Amino acid sequence: MTSENPSTNWTAIPQRYLKRELFPLLADLRLAIALLLAIAVFSITGTVIEQGRSLEFYQANYPEDPALFGFLTWKVLLTLGLDHVYRTWWFLALLILFGSSLITCTFQRQIPALRWFSRTWNFYTKPRQFEKFALSAELDHASIKQLSPLLEKRRYRVFRRDNTLYADRGIVGRIGPIIVHASMILILLGAIVGAMTGFFAQEMVPSGETFRIQNIFDAGPWAGAQIPQDWSVRVNRFWIDYTPEGKIDQFYSDLSVLNDQDEEIQRKTIHVNEPLRHEGVTLYQADWGIAAVRIRLNESPILQLPMVEIGTDGGGRVWGTWIPTKPDLSEGVSVLAKDLQGILLLYDTEGKLLSTVRQGMSTEVNGVTLAIAEIVGSTGLQIKADPGIPIVYTGFGLLMISVLMSYISHSQIWALEEAGKFYIGGRTNRAQVAFEREMLEILDSLEPSTSDAEAVSDPKSLVPNP
Amino acid sequence: MDLVSLQGWLDNASFAVLFVTMLLYWGGTAFPRIPYLAILGTGGMAIANLCIATLLASRWIEAGYFPLSNLYESLFFLAWGITAVHLVVENSSRSRLVGAVTAPVAMSITAFATLTLPSQMQNAEPLVPALKSNWLMMHVSVMLLSYAALLVGALLAIAFLVVTRGQNIELRGSSVGTGAYRDSRRQLRKSSEANQMAVVVAETTSAIETQTAGSTAVLDAVATSTPVATEPLSPQRLSLVDTLDNISYRTIGLGFPLLTIGIIAGAVWANEAWGSYWSWDPKETWALITWLVFAAYLHARITRGWQGRRPAILAASGFVVVWVCYLGVNILGKGLHSYGWFF
Repeated sequence: MTSENPSTNWTAIPQRYLKRELFPLLADLRLAIALLLAIAVFSITGTVIEQGRSLEFYQANYPEDPALFGFLTWKVLLTLGLDHVYRTWWFLALLILFGSSLITCTFQRQIPALRWFSRTWNFYTKPRQFEKFALSAELDHASIKQLSPLLEKRRYRVFRRDNTLYADRGIVGRIGPIIVHASMILILLGAIVGAMTGFFAQEMVPSGETFRIQNIFDAGPWAGAQIPQDWSVRVNRFWIDYTPEGKIDQFYSDLSVLNDQDEEIQRKTIHVNEPLRHEGVTLYQADWGIAAVRIRLNESPILQLPMVEIGTDGGGRVWGTWIPTKPDLSEGVSVLAKDLQGILLLYDTEGKLLSTVRQGMSTEVNGVTLAIAEIVGSTGLQIKADPGIPIVYTGFGLLMISVLMSYISHSQIWALEEAGKFYIGGRTNRAQVAFEREMLEILDSLEPSTSDAEAVSDPKSLVPNP
Repeated sequence: MDLVSLQGWLDNASFAVLFVTMLLYWGGTAFPRIPYLAILGTGGMAIANLCIATLLASRWIEAGYFPLSNLYESLFFLAWGITAVHLVVENSSRSRLVGAVTAPVAMSITAFATLTLPSQMQNAEPLVPALKSNWLMMHVSVMLLSYAALLVGALLAIAFLVVTRGQNIELRGSSVGTGAYRDSRRQLRKSSEANQMAVVVAETTSAIETQTAGSTAVLDAVATSTPVATEPLSPQRLSLVDTLDNISYRTIGLGFPLLTIGIIAGAVWANEAWGSYWSWDPKETWALITWLVFAAYLHARITRGWQGRRPAILAASGFVVVWVCYLGVNILGKGLHSYGWFF
């Protein structure tokens, strides 16, 4: 600050405002707690109200009369954005406020507090200073010389000067919370980077076909550079392994990455939990379908007929097509398949089940031999690029380490020899119960009779005596 | 020996043992003078822990994967976690009250899993493709251990609220270290320093003003048994409420990092398996809500003037939040995280 008088220096006013009004408010713990709980409460609404459904859905489930809880009609719900809570401006604003609070708190409170604990000249030279500790004692026949090795054995860092001692253990417990906050800032930052520069795409590709990544359903404003222009992917084969009971064991897609000249530059068989990565883009096994059925009628060449998914109301997925059995298309059979296990169901025009055919087998329909050569599956790929991932992962790693560090209790012990008396006191910031026991053990080994005589209650029992 | 019949025997046995253990702990709390109740309770808890561990191990051998794929297995893993956390907490706090709150919960979980769940939900089923990953073991086991620790911590906070009902309490022990100082009413000083008495008296009166008159029997007992004035400096012991509060805090303090690691493991797994580390799936969101509630608790403890019952109320509400996160989401019945439900 260059000026003490605000009226003479106008540029100082915003700075003063930041320092005196905004920063203390943002660093206020009560604001942080309120934000944590507010994010929690608003997140709950998103788990109770179905997210991202159609207008009709909300109209049907949240009618105007009678309104749910007397106010929650579909209009209110959509105006507030409760159909997409986690993307509303107010939820994002809450997260940004939370991030600002986190940053301010780190710089305003945590780092200054650390400076205090890093000093090692923390010696106490007056007996009076020991009175403030709950765990302090005055002994007649003990000395610092005796105490020092006891503390070292308990992994304390011991500092001595003249007739005083300072020892501490677990300073990482003070650093931990700072790194927790820093890594959370890093994760939020990584999430922002990802949202701005990443993209998501989905492709449904029949076995044997080649595709470029085009069906992008979500991309950040600066995602252009991430979307691959000079390579494509060929699905060599898609298949499903089934367990002996007929349940799905695993989905597999054999993928080849091709360059502009259609030369293979990478090949990998992916499955759920095992994606393919190429130039920052990752392809995940996400979905599947039946693309087509390859058949032969009498002596015809193999014909490929596309199959389409037929909507069933919650009755599982079914794909179907229609195979003509007369050249003028006046007769035919409907063909249905439920999975890639190789069984097709044939229905006649009246909807009666004619027969079931296995892949590779044939059957007689309307006087025609219908042979099923193959059921062609299609693989559903989830494709994404997220340049924020390295930042987020760094944040994750640091967060895991630092949150464990934060469990450690920082214990400090002071001692003083003066006028034939020995004073000892100590405190810890988290593990009060364990530290009390440790202090009593230390006192015991210094002067066996002391703590037994002074103990106010039986240490074995914490239940009140009746 | 037949693994299936062994399992059927073990789940009933662990329920029975936990039931007896609960009675032992309650008896021990009601009649602290009866000998051996505490040690019998601890023994019961250890036996239940081993029973459940054997049950899970035999399912592991039978099914060939880490047994955390359905509600039955996860309930038993949670019960195992609670008994394990109980043993750790009881050993480090030497408090017999812990069992009085953990035993009934562990008992209820095993009872629910053994008696209420329909038998088709008790059978080991093959894993769906999405769960075939080593991350399953990492993510789910850490999550369930964190639930166990958080539940025990929240239960101790509830016990603390019950013990301190109707009082205004100032506590020690939080991560900034506003605690660990001597209660000024019980400040000890030597006669040679009587000249400082005036200052101390002023402090004492203010302290008495902030503390309401109605103090527990325990606090009174401690305060009156403390030697006064001319005695040499000696350690001031933690009271029952201080101890309860601190072991609750330490247990939640252990559950919180586990929850954080569990959520991160899940996020990394999701990113490796299907390309998004966070998708606001109901279970994810509830895990985040749990995390936020306990983060608020940890921060409330270091807020000046809030040490006492207020953070404990947050922790106690965390008990409900953990259950909603663990079971409530199944009732919605959607998504990868659902174990399924039976009505």
